[in-house]
Amino acid sequence: MSNVATPAFGAPDFDAVVVGAGPAGSAAALELARAGRRVCLVERGPYPGAKNMYGGVVYGRILDTLLPNWWEEAPVQRWVTRRQTMILTETAATTLDVRNEAWGRPPYNGATAYRPDFDAWLAQKAVDAGAVLVCSTTVTGLLREDGRPDGKVVGVRTDRPDGDLTAKVVVACDGVNSFLAKEAGLYPTVDPANYTVGVKETIALPRDVIDERFGVRGDHGVDIEILGCTGDVPGGGFVYTNLDTVAVGLVLSLPELSRGDQRPEQLLARLKAHPAVAPLVEGGDVKEYSAHVIPEAGFDMMPELVGDGILVAGDAAAMCLAAGIWLEGVNFAIGAGAAAGRTAARAVQRDDTSAAGLAGYRARLESSFVLADHRRLRDAPHLVMGELAQQKMPRVVNGVVEELFTVTNPDPKPRLRTILRRQMKRHGVKWRDAVKDGLRAARTFG
Amino acid sequence: MAEPTHYPELSFESRMGSVEFRVAEQAHIVVDDRICADCSTRGCVVACPANLFVPTAAGGILFNYEQCFECGTCYLVCNEEGAISWSYPEGGHGVVFHRS
Amino acid sequence: MLVAACVKWADLRPEVDPVHGTVRSTGRSDGFSEADRAAVEVALGLAEGWGARVAVVCAGPPAAEAGLRELQAVGVDRAVRVDLAPDQPSEAVAASLAPVLSALLAADVVVCGDYSADRGSGSVPAYLAHLLGAEQALGLVGVAAHGDDGVAGVRRLDGGRREDVVAGAPAVVSVEGSVATLRRASLAATLGAGAAAVEVVPGRPDPRAEAPRTEPWRPRARHVAPPEGDDALDRVVQLTGAFVERTPPRTVELEPAEAAQAVLDQLRAWGYLEPPGRPD
Ligand SMILES: Cc1cc2nc3c(=O)[nH]c(=O)nc-3n(C[C@H](O)[C@H](O)[C@H](O)COP(=O)(O)OP(=O)(O)OC[C@H]3O[C@@H](n4cnc5c(N)ncnc54)[C@H](O)[C@@H]3O)c2cc1C
Ligand code: SF4
Ligand code: SF4
Repeated sequence: MSNVATPAFGAPDFDAVVVGAGPAGSAAALELARAGRRVCLVERGPYPGAKNMYGGVVYGRILDTLLPNWWEEAPVQRWVTRRQTMILTETAATTLDVRNEAWGRPPYNGATAYRPDFDAWLAQKAVDAGAVLVCSTTVTGLLREDGRPDGKVVGVRTDRPDGDLTAKVVVACDGVNSFLAKEAGLYPTVDPANYTVGVKETIALPRDVIDERFGVRGDHGVDIEILGCTGDVPGGGFVYTNLDTVAVGLVLSLPELSRGDQRPEQLLARLKAHPAVAPLVEGGDVKEYSAHVIPEAGFDMMPELVGDGILVAGDAAAMCLAAGIWLEGVNFAIGAGAAAGRTAARAVQRDDTSAAGLAGYRARLESSFVLADHRRLRDAPHLVMGELAQQKMPRVVNGVVEELFTVTNPDPKPRLRTILRRQMKRHGVKWRDAVKDGLRAARTFG
Repeated sequence: MAEPTHYPELSFESRMGSVEFRVAEQAHIVVDDRICADCSTRGCVVACPANLFVPTAAGGILFNYEQCFECGTCYLVCNEEGAISWSYPEGGHGVVFHRS
Repeated sequence: MLVAACVKWADLRPEVDPVHGTVRSTGRSDGFSEADRAAVEVALGLAEGWGARVAVVCAGPPAAEAGLRELQAVGVDRAVRVDLAPDQPSEAVAASLAPVLSALLAADVVVCGDYSADRGSGSVPAYLAHLLGAEQALGLVGVAAHGDDGVAGVRRLDGGRREDVVAGAPAVVSVEGSVATLRRASLAATLGAGAAAVEVVPGRPDPRAEAPRTEPWRPRARHVAPPEGDDALDRVVQLTGAFVERTPPRTVELEPAEAAQAVLDQLRAWGYLEPPGRPD
């Protein structure tokens, strides 16, 4: 993947080339096209979204400014009006259950959607604005000025015949494996501990069965995040409702997964068999199995965001907010992609797409939720993926609840304080650690 | 309420059969199993969601690229420098998701 | 000179319910099958050798036009969509394609995929050859140009044997998907493909196809007179025709062409074939 080539002479083919028609790339292309720049959006899948999977919920607030009234036309499955966080041990479950009917009305909050639908829809918005979309085309490397390996980026090479594409600026939105950001030298190191892999099944069930099982009606849906369901591997699980399918999956930390002896689908089968989950997902036909890697470490793993002639946005720059099981990546990708698109459009207009000319990108992100949230929630991944939250907390919580709700007549009821102390001791949780992580959590989420 | 039909739990083959792969002629991932012979961890074998890494009796690894999710797990967990050459398949080929 | 490829817009990955066996089309996976793509590649290859032009014709819905534009990027000179609803019988598809191929395009050689992906019978190319009065070579596993306008092909026979066939223009050939891999469009052609024009002509739907049959197919009842005779044995003999005079079976050993002629002659003698002559 290290093609260093001399670009053709003459004017570049486009003002900007955006690599990857995921949410980041389509948002970037949309903003560039709206600013009147000639932009080409290159996607390796046969259609946008063909290569992309995720858990299941898009948080659309970021679209309000880009595409007003987006909810009237976005390819949504269900609007999430019920969110649950489940904490499991092998035999027990404690669930926090939140309902909010306001989330089921404009301007809405979260929506389940299939990525092949959603990404294709967003890419079409960019095309409508004037971007040129080419699918089935893999970018294999960067073109450098004068063919020097450290020269300014002046385009990309694709795997099509006569496949070089020159541009004043390249926006790399090529997702978590971003070979472009790596080739551009923007990632210092790649540490597998910063990544998780997500696997999921999309299971078909009749619509009214889903309504009944999840306690929702019409186009309302449910989003369930699950802790304590991944055995010895740090991670979490999720269940999301689509119109006539349910998505159930796991997110698994790579180093521990590869050292363990349970394969992803085996861990997933265990989650599906859990007494708290089985009644929700059993009996359907699996329509699709899928897998994808997630950049998990957020702020601490982000690469340089700007190089000479190149910007990086979305998962390619590890901008997925993955506080363990709470995954927000699509909204961050759209936010970052739009900022990259605007920055690139300005830079082209001023005819300076050097690293200095593109430097405004970082400032734009710092002043938006993209980097502000990442900076603030910097510790969240470590907290949620740490041993305390993963192994001990689920046991303590379920132990406490069990003792609290088990009637022990004729013995008198124990005091909550006594139960808590007993459970923490049984599961080896030290007050010191609990307080330390508690404070860290308060600082992070508070 | 319509009763859901009960479908049997999936075999791994039918699990992978639910996924569309437009297989390219050229392999996008190549594993040099001479290097794998020296590998003690074999992380790829348990972690690859598509179960494409199969240890051989001779102590190497048998790898098939056809049913790959292109996720990146294998090169991230691989223990030995140079064992896996990883790239994306030719444009338009490889995995195609419909409902994910 | 013009080489035409006929392609069908079909659901390449319909959903099959594993318990009920029902088939559902989602529209997410429509496209041209491997065999049809191979047909386009064969057409391009033949045309290159002959210096001919290439057209591609698709009888299908408007959604097929996106696919036709991609084929134009690959190097097809002209794309025609014959507007026809899906699920038309092979006769209607062929009847819709034939006038386009003969009158509009004046195609010398027509290349089709062997079967369409959606449970096709592979009979469209045969109907086409019949309607165009063309020579046919169907189900080929290998194709090459033969002279200035002919096609030499290889066909599978039983028992792992192969047969070499030659069809001269006007010819209709159909190919298996393994025959060729469609070349990739260059980047520039792909960038320009969005603007390419697809001609649209109306099709000739089969009026009978409009009401789909919902009952299982049964052969039409035929009147058979009851056997006569008082004796059960007589009636059985009569029913089975055991002692009736008949033409005894005949074994002939002939070269393939003569054998085919002998079979045709016999069928004609029995009245199964219309007298020779080309229907319009
Ligand atoms: C299991 C899982 C669950 C998740 N759950 C959620 C969730 O519920 N909500 C949420 O908001 N986020 C979720 N995410 C995160 C979210 O999916 C990502 O953060 C988001 O998709 C990032 O968007 P992107 O545009 O940066 O990258 P991607 O969506 O990965 O898009 C990258 C695009 O670039 C293309 N591409 C890559 N390389 C090349 C190349 N060389 N040439 C051409 N094209 C190329 C790819 O085909 C792809 O279309 C989840 C992720 C996973 C894996
Ligand atoms: S982890 Fe790497 S070196 Fe080890 S067996 Fe797998 S591919 Fe080979
Ligand atoms: S990319 Fe993912 S699916 Fe493909 S071989 Fe590697 S781990 Fe397996």
